[in-house]
Amino acid sequence: MTSTPSPAAAHPPEQGALRRFIAKPEFGPLVLLVVMLVVFTAINPAFLSLNNIGNALTFTVELGLIALAMTLLMTAGEFDLSVGSVFGFAPVVMWAFFNAGLLPLPAAFLVAMVIALGIGLVSGLFVTRLGIPSFLVTLGMLLVVRGSALWLTSGFPQRTWDAGDQWLATLLVGDFYIGGLRVYMSLIWFILLAVAFHVLLTQTRFGNWVQATGGNPGAARNRGVPIQRVKVILFMLSAAMAALAGIISSIRVSAANPNSGTGYELEVIAMVVIGGTVLSGGRGTIIGTVLGVLILRLMRNGIVLIGVPGLAYNIFIGAIILGMMALHAALERRHNAGT
Amino acid sequence: MTDTPLVEMRHIQKSYGRVHALRDVNLTIRRGEIVGLLGDNGAGKSTLIKVLSGAVPYTSGEIRIKGQPVTMTSTNDAISAGIETIYQDSALVPQLSIARNLFLGRELTKGSLGRLDLDRMNQVAADLLKRVGISKNIPPTTPIGSLSGGERQAVAIARAMYFDSDLIILDEPTNNLGVAETQGVLRFVREARDTGHSCIFIAHNIHHVFQVVDRMVVMRRGTVVADDLSPKTSSIQDVEDVITGDHILV
Repeated sequence: MTSTPSPAAAHPPEQGALRRFIAKPEFGPLVLLVVMLVVFTAINPAFLSLNNIGNALTFTVELGLIALAMTLLMTAGEFDLSVGSVFGFAPVVMWAFFNAGLLPLPAAFLVAMVIALGIGLVSGLFVTRLGIPSFLVTLGMLLVVRGSALWLTSGFPQRTWDAGDQWLATLLVGDFYIGGLRVYMSLIWFILLAVAFHVLLTQTRFGNWVQATGGNPGAARNRGVPIQRVKVILFMLSAAMAALAGIISSIRVSAANPNSGTGYELEVIAMVVIGGTVLSGGRGTIIGTVLGVLILRLMRNGIVLIGVPGLAYNIFIGAIILGMMALHAALERRHNAGT
Repeated sequence: MTDTPLVEMRHIQKSYGRVHALRDVNLTIRRGEIVGLLGDNGAGKSTLIKVLSGAVPYTSGEIRIKGQPVTMTSTNDAISAGIETIYQDSALVPQLSIARNLFLGRELTKGSLGRLDLDRMNQVAADLLKRVGISKNIPPTTPIGSLSGGERQAVAIARAMYFDSDLIILDEPTNNLGVAETQGVLRFVREARDTGHSCIFIAHNIHHVFQVVDRMVVMRRGTVVADDLSPKTSSIQDVEDVITGDHILV
């Protein structure tokens, strides 16, 4: 360093690139994930085994699918508390139609997805047309949808073990082996959709509108961006992804329980904010959300493997959320200090 | 052709319930002139601008643009008629880059899937920043949030110029700006006029208005009380008297 007269001038691109990388919202979660992997593996090498990783990824994707859509919705400045209820409700509808012999499985699947889109549409219209905060609208929707699932089934799970020979079930949750790693189709779906959502948010006109809608709704409207339509579409997308995730889950565990998905909404929102998406809107990152999904799920898995009582899991999650929020706030302050 | 005014607002009335915000307002903007719109708080300036930018519907009256009667029911109507309004705090999205803000709502795309042509957007933005003389070398990928107030105004005005708006409405463009930045914005406004754009300039600071406008229109209590004050023939004191209504008493 001393031999170079001006190190800053000698390596400006490297330093700039490094600083830009650190300033990115994904940097914090990435460091946290790496630290977690190192610590867990050091304490219990079984953590990094193919078997364990394969299992952890399987459970990961169901919440991850919802988190992808939630990232876009939160970037546009809204959030959806009803995703956990839709997660439980959609499979119940699908299997109820199928088990009663009313519809073949693909048709029942379509009906469930259309109903989910309708739920999202209603939430979106309440938020945009009536100007009611999404917290209240989706809280109401959470209760309505969960209540419908319970009422429809009288509280009993729907059987799903006839799914084995259905092509749709294979398409959604079939498995195959890559080397020694058992891979479920749902993981492939998650990867494909994560890439699609990332491109949608960062590379398309619609993605630009989503960020503008959350960042400065007044400016977006003045520029002719249909901010209400953007929000309604995102509410529908989030409900549809929750339904898809619920259906995948019901096939995997061979039960459509009207109570499943309870509390998922908060876990999904936690994943999204840990990944660096801002709760107040305007800035969102799919890469960060994928990291957030992995952090929460591997944490759940790793804590058990290293011998911490499973019941203590929430303490760690809560601490991580608080820590990440403090980090993001600090970065934000430093970022804005120059203006 | 040149005699046709760019914008004619005739007998515009606007009521909010029983509140009469605009009473029989007539306003004419010619091509290539900068008109200062002045008036005390509540005089009706904002309402008039919102009517002209399509943000609020008017109760009755007629708006002609280049001689053609138009109906303004949304901001999109105004934008497509060539009227660009730059509001002080709702012009730009702080989280998005300069290029993405420039093209917000009119993004350049490639292919049929609505993919942004980011290379071309950044290229155009960089050229534009150079052309409008933003002196510092700011890359077009910089988020608006890290620009100064004057630079933000410059970006917003540059956007209006790039999209060939005939009329640029500036709502309090010099508020909260330093001296140098204010001069930059005023230079920008003159540049916009010199390239053939008309401007409506709304500001509380009469000194700023005097430095840049060709003509001043004064509103009081929902009506236009003067529309031909020139900074060459009137003093600041004269104009202030018209704004407050003191000239009637004298």
